[in-house]
Amino acid sequence: MKRLLKHPMVDVAMKALSRNRLQTGLTMLGITVGVATVLAMMAVGAGAQRSIEQQVRAAGLNQITIRAGNWKPKQTESDEPIAHQAEARPSTRDPLASQAGRSLRVGDDVVKIAYHPEDDPMEKHDHPTARQRLGDLEAGLGSAATMTFADAEAIRKMPGVQYVAGGIHENIRVHAGEKRWFTRMHGTDVMMPSIKRAWTFTSGRFFTEREQNKAEQVIVLGQVVVDRLFGAGASPVGSAVLLWNQPFEVVGVVTSATWVVQPAPGDDQFDAVYMPYTTTQRLLNLSKLNDITVTSESSGDVSRLSRDITKLLRQRHGIGDKDPDDFTIITQAAKALTTGGLPPGIARAVAGNVAELEKVTLERLAVTMERASRTMTWLLAAAAAVSLLVGGIGIMNITLLSVTERTKEIGLRMACGARRKDVMRQFLFEAVVISAAGGLIGVVIGVIASFGIARSLRWATVVSPLSVLIAFGTAAAVGVFFGWYPAKRAAQLDPIVALRRE
Amino acid sequence: MIGVQDLAKEYHVGDHTVHALRGITLSVAGGEFVTIVGPSGSGKSTLMHILGCLDSPTSGQYLLNGRDVSTLPHDELARVRNETIGFVFQGFNLLARTSAVENVELPLLYTRKGVVKASERRDRAMAALEAVGLTDRADHHPNQLSGGQQQRVAIARALVTQPSLLLADEPTGNLDSTTSHEVMEIFADLCKQRGLTIVLITHERDIAAYGTRTVDFKDGLIVADIPNSRRNQSAVLA
Repeated sequence: MKRLLKHPMVDVAMKALSRNRLQTGLTMLGITVGVATVLAMMAVGAGAQRSIEQQVRAAGLNQITIRAGNWKPKQTESDEPIAHQAEARPSTRDPLASQAGRSLRVGDDVVKIAYHPEDDPMEKHDHPTARQRLGDLEAGLGSAATMTFADAEAIRKMPGVQYVAGGIHENIRVHAGEKRWFTRMHGTDVMMPSIKRAWTFTSGRFFTEREQNKAEQVIVLGQVVVDRLFGAGASPVGSAVLLWNQPFEVVGVVTSATWVVQPAPGDDQFDAVYMPYTTTQRLLNLSKLNDITVTSESSGDVSRLSRDITKLLRQRHGIGDKDPDDFTIITQAAKALTTGGLPPGIARAVAGNVAELEKVTLERLAVTMERASRTMTWLLAAAAAVSLLVGGIGIMNITLLSVTERTKEIGLRMACGARRKDVMRQFLFEAVVISAAGGLIGVVIGVIASFGIARSLRWATVVSPLSVLIAFGTAAAVGVFFGWYPAKRAAQLDPIVALRRE
Repeated sequence: MIGVQDLAKEYHVGDHTVHALRGITLSVAGGEFVTIVGPSGSGKSTLMHILGCLDSPTSGQYLLNGRDVSTLPHDELARVRNETIGFVFQGFNLLARTSAVENVELPLLYTRKGVVKASERRDRAMAALEAVGLTDRADHHPNQLSGGQQQRVAIARALVTQPSLLLADEPTGNLDSTTSHEVMEIFADLCKQRGLTIVLITHERDIAAYGTRTVDFKDGLIVADIPNSRRNQSAVLA
């Protein structure tokens, strides 16, 4: 590239262009307008697409939670037949063959007790020790110690996966000086704020990857916890709190970004504290995860992804064809249905008996909306591309004109030793320089226009690097394409005829 | 330097065949200053184009510095034009809106022996301008120069690649007589000082007299080829 820029013909082309500034400028304008329009239209289209996606995602439709263990909620005890777990059958395998299998078979008997005491933050109970809690047959009903960090890593590598966060959850007491508060502890992944889009940090930050890697004793407090321990409006970042008699440095305070969800005592997000899951594993001497939260890149992809995750985990955990899963997959879509307006009984019946119901409804809707907005983007871009084409024809027109106008110059250059390819290159470079420079200006104007549209029409616009690349690349390609023919004509000129031309 | 043997050139214009050259045999030694005279349509320009490697003959042989150039491909001909030949035209053919020195640099953009650096191009162009006495007009554009000055810039451009052969096609055709003689002095000087071989077309006898030898053309044939020393004698005798 550098050698190409130093090519003497580039110099020749630049000089020739600067000799005809007005002509060069007007030709450039054609390309500039084309590129700017393409860019602005794509930004409008992408903006619409993004806002649809955001609405769909804010509903959590692309979220999948995989919990260790396979049990069903306490409430379903009475309407037994609908449960997915009904498939579970005692295995004929050697009881010692797999840890997962064994715990589950035992789980079969206790399946109806099912609700892990810790899943209810408001429940008053004595805390079992960590050893009792995870992987323990008695207490670990829902928290079977079957899922590992390696599982999370494997899921992370699957196509269509956006974020993955492994989690360990405990109920703990947080001490700050004299005060203490009983709350939820989430040992989680740095990815969590990306998954929880409705989060905002009133002060400080989330813990970092580095802190996670080093399993440092840092903690992010939910707003409710801060209010209780430090008083409303206090900023505890930098101060220390005690958990399990271990000091933790407070690095941030998290609260809800929307008025829809307000932090309240007892909720799972803001009456809670967050630390790197590695820290939890280190302090509690654990190697298992309670759950893995996954988001899919596309909200229409949730069912397929859940299916693939099931397949992957069954394979990783060595579960035979006839054995039940040792994990439970919960999609937000299904959850929305069961916690929505429907009477719980009916909702559960629907969710339990109609396989992939969410796919037919919410997911379908998401897919359709996505497709519609994508179509609109391309439609707008195509309309804009026409103006780019017109700009390209302008380039051809001007280059042809300048070949005719400068026939004598071409003859002279040939007499002075220019080869056909030298002449060809000069005119091609001229066309490309016009289109590239025009394209560059077009990109700038297009970006400004996109922001202008966003501000004045209140229409979200998204200028992606890809669309900039497409617009600019097309402009350069237009230059080469439409510059080719005139340049070829110039190169084919007979020097004698060219020199005689007046 | 130049050896031309039975050179013929035919053009086809519709059904007609125009015989521009009908078998020319001519040799020019190094350092000679040959002027070619003849009426329009006598084929002298065609000969010039062939000598300048801008055109190839229909038949016959053209040896330039002992090399047969009548059958070379396009790119090779371009190379010969660049390295061996310098052209001066009747209409000057300078690039408009381009300074004199940049005009002179032009052939250096097409050298084959590696790219000539910008600074070296400038130095060599200035040296060529100095040879025609125009150093002080280097930054002037053609429209700021007189006809004679423009033709001198064109001569500098022809010299900048240090060719061994200079071809001039009616270089004084657009100039008044005083300027014509100034320009011809430059050609005569170049021949004498630098030993440059020059072939120059004109239809004015007094211009032709600057050469060491004059060749007369008529209907595509050479009708006379006499050294100017003898010509002057015969003029005196007549």
